[in-house]
Amino acid sequence: MIAAILRAQWLSMRMGGHRGRSFNILTGLIWYGVWVVAASLAFRLVSTAPIGPLRTFLPLALLGVCLYWQVMPIMSASMGSALDLRKLLAYPIPHGKLFQVEVLLRLTTGAEMLLVLVGGVAGLFRNPATRGWMAVIPVLLFVVFNLLLASGARSLLERLLSKRKIRELLVFLIFMLWMVPRFIFVTGYRPAWLGKWSHAIDNAAWPWTATAWAILGQAGGYSYLLLVCWTLLAGWFGRLQFERNLRFDAVAAQSTPQSNGASKLAALADAFYRFPSVLFRDPLGAIVEKELRSLSRTPRYRMVFVMGFSFGLMVWLPMILGARVRANAQLSAHFLTVVCVYALTLLGQVSYWNSFGFDRSAAQIFFAVPQPLSRTLLGKNIAALVFVYLEVLILTAVTSLFRVSFGVGQFVETLLVIGVCSLYMMGMGNITSVQYPRALNPERVSQGGASSRFQALVFLLYPASLLPVFLAYLARYAFNSDLIFYMVLAFAAVIGGVVYWIAMESAVTTAIERREKIIQALSTADGPISAD
Amino acid sequence: MSAAILVRDLRKSYGLKAAVDGVDLEVPRGSFFGFLGPNGAGKSTTIRMLTGLIPADSGTIEILGLKLSENELAIKQKIGLVPDESLLFDRLSGVEFLEFVGRMYALPRPQAIERARGLMDLFQLQVDRKIIGEYSKGMRKRVAMAASLIHHPDLFLMDEPFEGVDAVGARLMKDILLDQVKRGATIFLTTHVLEVVERLCDRVAIINEGRIVTSGALSDLRASGESLEDAFVRLVGAGQQTGRLEWL
Repeated sequence: MIAAILRAQWLSMRMGGHRGRSFNILTGLIWYGVWVVAASLAFRLVSTAPIGPLRTFLPLALLGVCLYWQVMPIMSASMGSALDLRKLLAYPIPHGKLFQVEVLLRLTTGAEMLLVLVGGVAGLFRNPATRGWMAVIPVLLFVVFNLLLASGARSLLERLLSKRKIRELLVFLIFMLWMVPRFIFVTGYRPAWLGKWSHAIDNAAWPWTATAWAILGQAGGYSYLLLVCWTLLAGWFGRLQFERNLRFDAVAAQSTPQSNGASKLAALADAFYRFPSVLFRDPLGAIVEKELRSLSRTPRYRMVFVMGFSFGLMVWLPMILGARVRANAQLSAHFLTVVCVYALTLLGQVSYWNSFGFDRSAAQIFFAVPQPLSRTLLGKNIAALVFVYLEVLILTAVTSLFRVSFGVGQFVETLLVIGVCSLYMMGMGNITSVQYPRALNPERVSQGGASSRFQALVFLLYPASLLPVFLAYLARYAFNSDLIFYMVLAFAAVIGGVVYWIAMESAVTTAIERREKIIQALSTADGPISAD
Repeated sequence: MSAAILVRDLRKSYGLKAAVDGVDLEVPRGSFFGFLGPNGAGKSTTIRMLTGLIPADSGTIEILGLKLSENELAIKQKIGLVPDESLLFDRLSGVEFLEFVGRMYALPRPQAIERARGLMDLFQLQVDRKIIGEYSKGMRKRVAMAASLIHHPDLFLMDEPFEGVDAVGARLMKDILLDQVKRGATIFLTTHVLEVVERLCDRVAIINEGRIVTSGALSDLRASGESLEDAFVRLVGAGQQTGRLEWL
């Protein structure tokens, strides 16, 4: 039965076409190549480390592995492949079998950590101070523990994130929970309880510590017993959450509440959606308006939008607080710009890199109506830019609250930099939108194993599109002149305009040539496993 | 007056398989034209080529006297389209979608809004916040048909417009389409429901394995007293005895 599901999935995936397949292979090679390097580093570190540092740092390293496995799928808004239960529940498949497949699929979000663990275990075999074979069983148990825990966490999150109103709040809370410890750490503030907490990791009651102790032969069978208990507990949690998901009606949870009259908030939102029509004539105004309405109601887009301002802050803000201000003076001086560019890149996944993704089969309307396709792409880009500038406003407000120093000058500079970067990114995005279109399910807050592909896109395209702005900053640094900076930035904007125009022409030509394939790709339904 | 649709030697292949294999077709203006064929015969591919959604390998297409290859935008402006796959944006409400479509056909915004509301009313759809993604299949079909009407086109291309629609909805949609024919519009539709064709269409063409096997007035096809279903089965060669499975 499991084989039948996996075969159906394999058959569903074979229609990708050579271009898409080559692109996937290339991006996969780059992404996993990076992790192979990380695994070889783990091998080198572990194979030469004395036993003392190993005892201290191995629990921490395993905690890091566990955190990556459990948290990164949420952070990257890509929770990996999962069974599409709506397609499978109609068949008499025992729930236990479905759960087994679901657990195996958690490998899709932990493959990077598997590589690192393999590197580490190989290092333990090489290290004369340890016995490598002792690591095999604890590491295997630790992997199973992570798979089961990830399965349960995914089911729970998927259910919670499917509920109207609370999903964005939940995402925000998760990010804040992730941020608070970092703040405490970097600002130098040390509450009394923190000392006890840091000692607490050195306790086999934690699964990562139990694993480390079992690997190093500490505490005998006690660490094994605890590790087995943790694995069983994770199994119970995973199965419980999976069963609850089976009974969960996501459509009902996401349905629009009926209201008798238009609320003030709805009227305000409508004014926001209508605003582009004041600035642009139809069809451009209509396309921008449609995009604003659609995207702001798309759960997946809303979640990434929330991530745009929260995740960026989480990553960058701790670097410029407390004692680190002086060490990161350049980052501190351009903090707002950095987090806004970060938000621009994050939103790309669900907008300009794959402009027709959420339209799915309905994208064919853009080929059926009597309007040139360039207007459609331009309208979609403008709508994406509206959301990007909304992120800028939110980030400006938040950074003001945190009293991160910046003035009006930095705000204006940020607006300009975002505009210039957008020209390059959206120009390239228009090409990828017609070359590699991919249907996105708007209801699913996470979609398939797209992370590696998008991470690789970041690797390939973001540096190229950020280079002109980087050169402007380099010029400012070299000549110590704002005037030079703005001159280079203006030049970059002109070049960006040309790049955008050429890219648009190319995208439109490609779209006309490939319209059949584009519509087909956007109309393709997933197999029994939702992935891409 | 030129034909509403004039197709000559139209061809489209997918690999070695010819989906449309030298189709010649003439649809007079003001006719209600039924385009019939078994599954996979090439109906949807033909409609998609007529709308410019997919390119033809060879052949010529003239719509309302204009060559498709030279006047794509002008032709699209005059066509109302209901394709087999959804054209609807799931995250818009019905009225928002209709307004959007109206504006894409260059209607002034106030007029698009007014027509959108009128069509929602005509198709008995409520103007509320409910998004299309939450509509039933029948409601989605109603919205799709309403969208095809909003710019008052001269030609309708419809692929299975009644699929999944209940009897009340289907009657409503049929009445609206008959009104369009009365005002001089042309309707070209595919359907598997032969009863619909018998009740609505004055002309038909049957396509099988990418080729037109018959085309003309419905009355001519039934001249021998044969029902449309019998004629259809005879022409597409599906009447022979099928095998039996022992276990079934």
